[in-house]
Amino acid sequence: MQDKQFMRETLFEGAEAFKAGRMNRRSFLTLCAMAGVASSAVMVGDAEAAANEIVMWNWGGQSEECHGNAIGKPFEEATGMPLRFDTSGPLQGKIREMVDSGNVTADVCDGDLFDAIALGPSGHLEAIDYDVVDKAKTLPNYAVEHGVSIILYGYAFVYDTEAYGDTPPNSWADFFDTAKFPGKRSLYKWANGSLEAALMADGVSKDELYPLDMDRALAKLVAMKDDSLYWGSGSEAHSMVVNGEVSMGMVWQNRGRNIEIDTDDRYKLVMNEALAMPGAYIVPKGNPAGREAIMKFIATAQDPAAQLQLLECLGMTPSNPEAFAMIPEDQQPYAITSAMNIDNVAFNDPVWWGENGGDAVNAFLEAIS
Amino acid sequence: MIDSLRKHVSPGWVLVAPFLMLVVVLYLGPILNILWLSLTDPEPGLQNYQKLYTNDTLLRIIWTTFRICLITTIISVAFGYSIAYAMVHAHKKRQKLMLTLLLVSFWISILVRTFSWLMLLGHNGLLNNALETLNIISEPVAFVRNELGVLIGMVHYMVPYAVLPLLVNMQTLDTRVMSASRNLGATGSQTFFRIYLPLTKPGIVAACLLVFILSLGFYVTPAILGGGKVLMVAEYISVQLLVTLKWGTAAMLAALMLFGVLALLYIMSKFMKLSTVFGGSTS
Amino acid sequence: MVGGNNAQGSLQLKKLQKKFGSFVAVDDVDLEIQQGEFLTLLGPSGSGKTTLLMMIAGFLDITSGDIELDGLSIANVPAEKRNFGMVFQGYALFPHMTVRENISYALDVRKRPKAEISARVDEMLDLVQLHEFGERKPGQLSGGQQQRVALARALCFAPPVLLLDEPLGALDKKLRVEVQEQLKDIHRRVGTTFVYVTHDQEEALSMSDRIVIMQDGAIEQVGTPQELYEKPETKFAASFLGKSNFLNLKDGLHALRPEKIDIHPAGQGDVTARATGTIRSITYFGSVQKFMVSVEGDEELEVDVDSWRNRYPLKEGQAVDLTWEDRATVKLRNG
Repeated sequence: MQDKQFMRETLFEGAEAFKAGRMNRRSFLTLCAMAGVASSAVMVGDAEAAANEIVMWNWGGQSEECHGNAIGKPFEEATGMPLRFDTSGPLQGKIREMVDSGNVTADVCDGDLFDAIALGPSGHLEAIDYDVVDKAKTLPNYAVEHGVSIILYGYAFVYDTEAYGDTPPNSWADFFDTAKFPGKRSLYKWANGSLEAALMADGVSKDELYPLDMDRALAKLVAMKDDSLYWGSGSEAHSMVVNGEVSMGMVWQNRGRNIEIDTDDRYKLVMNEALAMPGAYIVPKGNPAGREAIMKFIATAQDPAAQLQLLECLGMTPSNPEAFAMIPEDQQPYAITSAMNIDNVAFNDPVWWGENGGDAVNAFLEAIS
Repeated sequence: MIDSLRKHVSPGWVLVAPFLMLVVVLYLGPILNILWLSLTDPEPGLQNYQKLYTNDTLLRIIWTTFRICLITTIISVAFGYSIAYAMVHAHKKRQKLMLTLLLVSFWISILVRTFSWLMLLGHNGLLNNALETLNIISEPVAFVRNELGVLIGMVHYMVPYAVLPLLVNMQTLDTRVMSASRNLGATGSQTFFRIYLPLTKPGIVAACLLVFILSLGFYVTPAILGGGKVLMVAEYISVQLLVTLKWGTAAMLAALMLFGVLALLYIMSKFMKLSTVFGGSTS
Repeated sequence: MVGGNNAQGSLQLKKLQKKFGSFVAVDDVDLEIQQGEFLTLLGPSGSGKTTLLMMIAGFLDITSGDIELDGLSIANVPAEKRNFGMVFQGYALFPHMTVRENISYALDVRKRPKAEISARVDEMLDLVQLHEFGERKPGQLSGGQQQRVALARALCFAPPVLLLDEPLGALDKKLRVEVQEQLKDIHRRVGTTFVYVTHDQEEALSMSDRIVIMQDGAIEQVGTPQELYEKPETKFAASFLGKSNFLNLKDGLHALRPEKIDIHPAGQGDVTARATGTIRSITYFGSVQKFMVSVEGDEELEVDVDSWRNRYPLKEGQAVDLTWEDRATVKLRNG
């Protein structure tokens, strides 16, 4: 009974996703086959992304509800165009494949700013129209030709207060010091954050990280390899900490609050030297809703009210300086750009990552495996 | 003209032709595309293949993959062999129950299985907690988040795949042959090693091929149970495709795996008739 | 003898019983099998003959009773320790081994010296006349050749007893007669006790020293082929081995073999007719003619007449007199 209900819901979601064009035909059919339902039994309808709606390509989860309320609603009220989602995850490879195949089904990708640097010059992205989108409504370096940062997320770490309660760790140097702070560590598997953290631990100033000294960073990481686990998703990072597999764990900073709650404050978040990552809106070349509509949409997302709602809903930090002062008090310890944190965090350089990210990820994978 | 065609082409082919073409287009097309990519991305030439000589890491990843797949294959087929043996020799009713349980395990998603192993064998998992409570160990044993974890997860997934070809093979054996061996004075182990094992060789080879080839494509289990430190070819390919955009490298590795498997089949075919392995007649 | 043992090869089955659940497959079988004899277990399918053979071989546990070899109980000796040769239905040759490897198997597992094995295998290949086929696999041989390999394999270690489970069942009729001759010849030469299971009465008659007729798990009658044919004790024995007419006489049921009846046109016989009737059908078999004669009391008697010696041109519907000698009828036990 339970299973059938689950399959039905999955299928309905699938059918809607197909309508919204966020799923390719093959995975839709697979889903139908899995549910034991012939595809004809499901109303497919107009499955292609249409010009009268915006399709956001992101990672799903709560973000649908949060982005829907924060940006989708005001945008639909202003223009009449609803916001839909494709939650399959806009990895660089998938964006490139989508544009190359000529079957563009998404209007805006909730990606990273370095994606804009990596994919922009090869013609896979629309340029941002800075007559519509406001460069002043984000941090200075975070408005580039093919993408603009709307929110920030970051790599920080949590530690076990029972293990290190008396002299708590407060820096990446402490994180990497397994002599002084014995125990296991967890790090992000795809290099971002991990490399910067290693360099800061090795004594590089947070303002002089780039260009990354790869050899130095990898040497630091390899030295701790035997005590390290590596995670590939937020939930994995979360469970490694909550299950007590590690006594210090790098996490996405917006997970910090949940971890503190889930462990009854046994684990604490350290925001000092957190690496701020510019999440960015980027537009696949030839998006179905058209360039004009999507630029308006992005401009809507720059609104402080929308950004603060995303903070409340997802823990993602506003990048619009106007919003910094409006961050509510209970969010300030976790927000990257709150007054108490903004001077202590390091800022990611999307240009370096966009140009060198592929090699950096490979070098990192090669070092840790 | 048509008459001469009829002489040379059997009418069966005409019936099959549309489907054959479909298969060729849908199957061969992507493979050729991969080969093409491996020779042209990012620029035409053999540089993707040269990486095999110049890049130690690639060789290490391939070696890791090969090693893990080989160990997985050996353990899975050994387990599978005992299970299939028990099933063949069980009563009909119990045999059905066992088969059902075996097939049920096919329906459980690999993600669910992988996380179940974490809950069972993890740092704070059931087993470690129990062992600690019983004072058998003082520190949790690292069953998962390492190569051992990957092997446990992969073997668990692969055992049913190993059982099926062995089961089919064992069911077709003439039990009188084993009786004959005993009658001629052979002990149980002599009968097993001289008669039963050789007669199940086609099943063993089929199970090994199936498990090994499926193992090559493993992705989720190594990623999660390996703690990020066990990097296998399939995951590396996916990273090259999706994250680092080195499609040429990915295509080269994919082509290498494809030809590796084909070479494996070719070598096997030199030693035995593959048709018997895949269920063809033995005579 | 090479690879043999000290057993003489006489078998004693004592009150042997086998039950499968509540079904009694073999019921209280008492049987003495002499050393060196060719004994046939004959019966229809389901009569328990194969079950009995499998108990002798050790593949089936006995429910009660005992089996003795030369007077010593072997009931608890496992199959592989009994040292009985066996030729299986369908032969059960080892398909992955050559003919030589098949034949040498029993000696290989006994870890005999190589030279001894090789000599013995040669001897066996000669015995079954398959010398040039030593390196072939069973799949490359004809049915008759496979049968001979199975025989050689079972005899190679000189077992005191050879058990044969319908070994000719898979062969065609003509080949079967030929192989029967060879089998008899081999039995004469090796001197081993043969226990042979078949449902074919001709096979049993032509080959056996003694025949055990079985029905419903029990022994119906034991005797030489001639004893069984000439003096059947039960209706079943009389009808299963050869054909028989049954006569209800004053002192009970009697069997009368069809060839022991003489047939004459009515009134032309030299002696007094034992029965009169009319010919219902005539079937011509070459050497023999078969007459079905309707006699009084709605009964029908079968009369087989040697075609060459038949003096009368008889037709269907003709009235006939039937005669036979006193000694032609045999009184049956249960009738």
